[in-house]
Amino acid sequence: MEFRILIRLFTLSFLAWNVVSCTKEVQIDIPGYKDQMVIDGSIETGQPAIVFLSKSNNVYSETNFQAYLDGFISGATVIISNGTETDTLSEICSDNLPPGTEEVAAAFFGIPVDQLVNLHLCAYVSFGMLGEVGKTYTLKVIHNGKEYNSTTQIAQATPLDSLYWKPEGSFTDRGFSWAKLSDPLSNNDAYCWQVKYIGMPNFKKTFNPFFNDKFFNGKTFDFAYENPMSFDDPNGDPNYRGYYKAGDTIVVKLSKIGKAEYNFFEKKYNQIYSGGNPFSTPTNVPTNIQGGALGVWVGYSPWFDTLVCQ
Amino acid sequence: MLLQDVKLVQIPKWNMKILLSFLLLFISSISFSQTKVTLSGYITDSKDGEAMMDVKVYIPSLKLGAMSNNYGFYSLTVAPGKYQVEFRSVTYGAEIKELDLTKSQVFSIELGSKTTDVNEVVVNLKKTENVTSTKMGQIELQMDQVKTLPAFMGEVDIIKTIQLLPGVSSVSEGGQGFYVRGGGPDQNLVLLDEGVVYNAAHLFGFFSVFNADAVKSVNLIKGGMPANFGGRMSSVLEVNMNEGNMKKLKVTGGIGAISSRLTLEGPLKKDKGSFIVSGRRTYIDILLKAAISDTSPFAGSSYFFYDFNAKLNYKLSAKDRIFLSGYYGKDVFNFSDNQGGFGANMPWGNGIAALRWNHLFSDKLFMNLTTTFSDYMFKFGSQQDEFRFELASGIRDVGAKVDFSYFPNPAHRIKWGADYKYHTFTPTSVTAQNDTTVFDTGAAQKLFSHEAAAYVLDEFDLNDQLRLNVGLRYSAFAHVGPFTRYVKGDGISTQDTTIQYNRGDLIKFYHGLEPRVSLRWLLPDNSSIKAGYAYNYQYVHLTSLSAVSLPTDIWFPTTDIAKPEKGWQGSVGYFRNFFNDKFESSVEVYYKGIKNLIEFKEGALPGDNVSDNTDNLLVFGEGWAYGIEFYFKKSVGRFTGWVGYTWAKTERRFPDINEGNIYPAKYDRRHDLSVVGTYKLNERWTFSASFIYATGNTLTLPSSWYVQEQNLLFNYGARNSTRMSPYHRLDLSATLYSKAYKTKTDPATGKEIEVKKKYRSNWSFSIYNVYNRMNPFFLYVDNDGDFLAGNFKLTVKQVSLFPIIPSATWNFEF
Repeated sequence: MEFRILIRLFTLSFLAWNVVSCTKEVQIDIPGYKDQMVIDGSIETGQPAIVFLSKSNNVYSETNFQAYLDGFISGATVIISNGTETDTLSEICSDNLPPGTEEVAAAFFGIPVDQLVNLHLCAYVSFGMLGEVGKTYTLKVIHNGKEYNSTTQIAQATPLDSLYWKPEGSFTDRGFSWAKLSDPLSNNDAYCWQVKYIGMPNFKKTFNPFFNDKFFNGKTFDFAYENPMSFDDPNGDPNYRGYYKAGDTIVVKLSKIGKAEYNFFEKKYNQIYSGGNPFSTPTNVPTNIQGGALGVWVGYSPWFDTLVCQ
Repeated sequence: MLLQDVKLVQIPKWNMKILLSFLLLFISSISFSQTKVTLSGYITDSKDGEAMMDVKVYIPSLKLGAMSNNYGFYSLTVAPGKYQVEFRSVTYGAEIKELDLTKSQVFSIELGSKTTDVNEVVVNLKKTENVTSTKMGQIELQMDQVKTLPAFMGEVDIIKTIQLLPGVSSVSEGGQGFYVRGGGPDQNLVLLDEGVVYNAAHLFGFFSVFNADAVKSVNLIKGGMPANFGGRMSSVLEVNMNEGNMKKLKVTGGIGAISSRLTLEGPLKKDKGSFIVSGRRTYIDILLKAAISDTSPFAGSSYFFYDFNAKLNYKLSAKDRIFLSGYYGKDVFNFSDNQGGFGANMPWGNGIAALRWNHLFSDKLFMNLTTTFSDYMFKFGSQQDEFRFELASGIRDVGAKVDFSYFPNPAHRIKWGADYKYHTFTPTSVTAQNDTTVFDTGAAQKLFSHEAAAYVLDEFDLNDQLRLNVGLRYSAFAHVGPFTRYVKGDGISTQDTTIQYNRGDLIKFYHGLEPRVSLRWLLPDNSSIKAGYAYNYQYVHLTSLSAVSLPTDIWFPTTDIAKPEKGWQGSVGYFRNFFNDKFESSVEVYYKGIKNLIEFKEGALPGDNVSDNTDNLLVFGEGWAYGIEFYFKKSVGRFTGWVGYTWAKTERRFPDINEGNIYPAKYDRRHDLSVVGTYKLNERWTFSASFIYATGNTLTLPSSWYVQEQNLLFNYGARNSTRMSPYHRLDLSATLYSKAYKTKTDPATGKEIEVKKKYRSNWSFSIYNVYNRMNPFFLYVDNDGDFLAGNFKLTVKQVSLFPIIPSATWNFEF
């Protein structure tokens, strides 16, 4: 993650460059488009697997909301297995959600409940199998005669040693969340940091929520994360964005993920934050799915803790 | 162990047979018993005592001649007799001497006191060089002309002038990297007084490290590389520094839009030794400081570069001379975001030193012994609140080289020698600390290697029509310990492990033969046909994660995983002069094939080589390039200049890139046209113009988008499948010289006479990009709007860097 500082510097230079240089829109031929299946699947401890299927779109195609909706794929066969048991996932759609799940689904899609229930957004859910620590899960997706396969694992979660809050800089009532983590000695430990205010239905990821132990394998160290919810309020004071205020109570979810899955998310966020500038190379996000699909199949092993900011 | 990679030597059998036949022919032809005498000596400039290279020493009655070498030494062996000997130079024309050569004699001469028609001699020399020599794809720049060409922001730039030659193209707008006949920027051997320059650019590539005031000569070899050069696949750019004025103290300098420079030179002891020191510094940081207030969050941000050249030389005796050259240059970039608690410092630069000893063993045998030191380093340090991070990379060479030149008779010019370098590479060294927690970034990776070569070559005339230059180079490379090899596991069934090598352990050894042959067949109509073949090995590589050249690009050696690049180039050309030799022209076709090319794996990130070996992130492939070059030049008269056009194709194939399909190299350009002209109106005004047109560069853009967890992601299309719009630009310049003479009353006669001014100056005005063409620097896909709100839009944006830029520079000398 430290190299992102270097990327940030170059990105800042790139932005400065944009100020002094001339930028204009051009029409240019971009060959190489091919229609690909996109699989976005996950399973975590104690939770069913959820798999979204969609397709990629030509960069010059419509990029409006309808195109996004049209991209979802129905009618596929989705099967997961933990080595001993197999479950064929059920397709559920936003216009026919099981009672009580509307709010969770709305938060997941980032769409208000009243709009979501009028849309036809479909996902595949393993009602017959929940994630268990130590098990390896294979995913098989069959659609239009093509088969896609992937494997992920739910590892043993790594607990945080402690969680605390402290004022930042000149503030007395605003600050980041801090945590102390003792990383296991094994290599390639990777984590995902998510957070929510207590009472919220869904966890929210920070701007760059994934990190691995490349620089601190086996070490105990302290680190901070910003408050991602503070950016959701368009009327919020911009000076306070990123901070928790004294008195906030939050729930932290630190999930362990595998190496290939971390590789996907690392490259994904690298593309999001550096894509387009000339100092970066064109980087496709590496999938862990075989068969020609894009996306990821990831197993999360979460550990939860609650922090009262004081 | 030492023979484990013998299979790398894949010289075709027919090739070796031809080579051996030539060697036998050469041995038999140099041993003849007839009594001969040798005329030898040094040629220097009477103006400043500097050695003059490429002066032709010619005996018209025998139709025999020789050329002076880089150190001004010449040797010509002929039958005894009295001869008129001509010393022909581009600068001063011809001086003719009556010499009694009944016995061998040393005759050193200072040229410039008596001159004939310079233009006529230039024509003669050019005719000799263009049509009669075996040189193909070799161009020597005239520094006087370089200084009058349009200059970007007023900075006279050797590299940008080279980019105007056929077969040479620039990396990007304003960039210093150059591609020669489809080779990458790292495939050019850039030498400053025989020291290797690993990064020839300042300011992220916009300016050259070569201060034109300190440069004496520039020679580019883009094909038919002779056997005395090696270690790179594509070209040699040989830059020689001025030696310093042997006669008097001289000061030159200039004040430009972004930098100023000052050069001081003079004798250490008149006609025995001299020195030159030259410095240059930008003042962008001072301008930035004025532009950014102390209260600005970006206060403290700055950028500047400086460089310093120095050279000493001393004649120890009639047969011995030493030279000590040095270069040190540095760029420093500071960035402060006080509001965000972020600060960064990024220095990078080269240091080069060379100590040379010229010794004359006899009037036929000349030796140059050179010890060199080259260092390139890049550092980056940053602090974000309590997090501190430092990164460094670089390469350091210590080496020695010996070259012998032997002139047994006028038909043979033989060279042999050896070269050795000890490389220390630091691809990445990282430290990181958060408050009191020190992160484990692994030990600083250093790689050590020995590179050595030996060569022999002979340029000889088989008959009046056929001249051959046959050479053989043997090169070897050893990667040695200490070294830690990281073996990566998949994290599930296999874990990461390391293999430790101790100091001096031989990790991998490579070697190979590099035959070089070129020939010239003289045709009766003032023209010739030439052909060349060269086989090369390259043991050091530049790896880049960026789409543009940056100082962060990493030099990396050949290892057990990264094999040496190897390949060959063949070229055939037709050379002809026109209009009584005032115009010279050539057409050359070439083909180049290279194996073991290196690229980063798709998706590799800069941080991936921490606690890992850089070569674990590399993939390997092959490439080829072919093209045809047209060159038409006028080098005499008031109007001089050239037109160069290249049609070329450059492709790559890597099994792990672009799904193994062939793709165009990022510097694949179908058409490249340059037109350069200089018109000397009178003694005070000179005007120049240059125009270039080039097919747009290739790049990779996203061909599709998809959504994952509410994030829009791109999937890139085929590698380098998008081509930017063509690049074209016109630059103009005018140079106004102060009057060279002033009127003075002669105290003896009382009459007014004209005397040469000691102090001279000139104003150089340039306009870059006269018609304000918005040339593409790069393209990117931009997104705007809210996806869920339905106003989201993807567009391709083109970024252009430099609009029309006028500049003025004031230069002086006294």
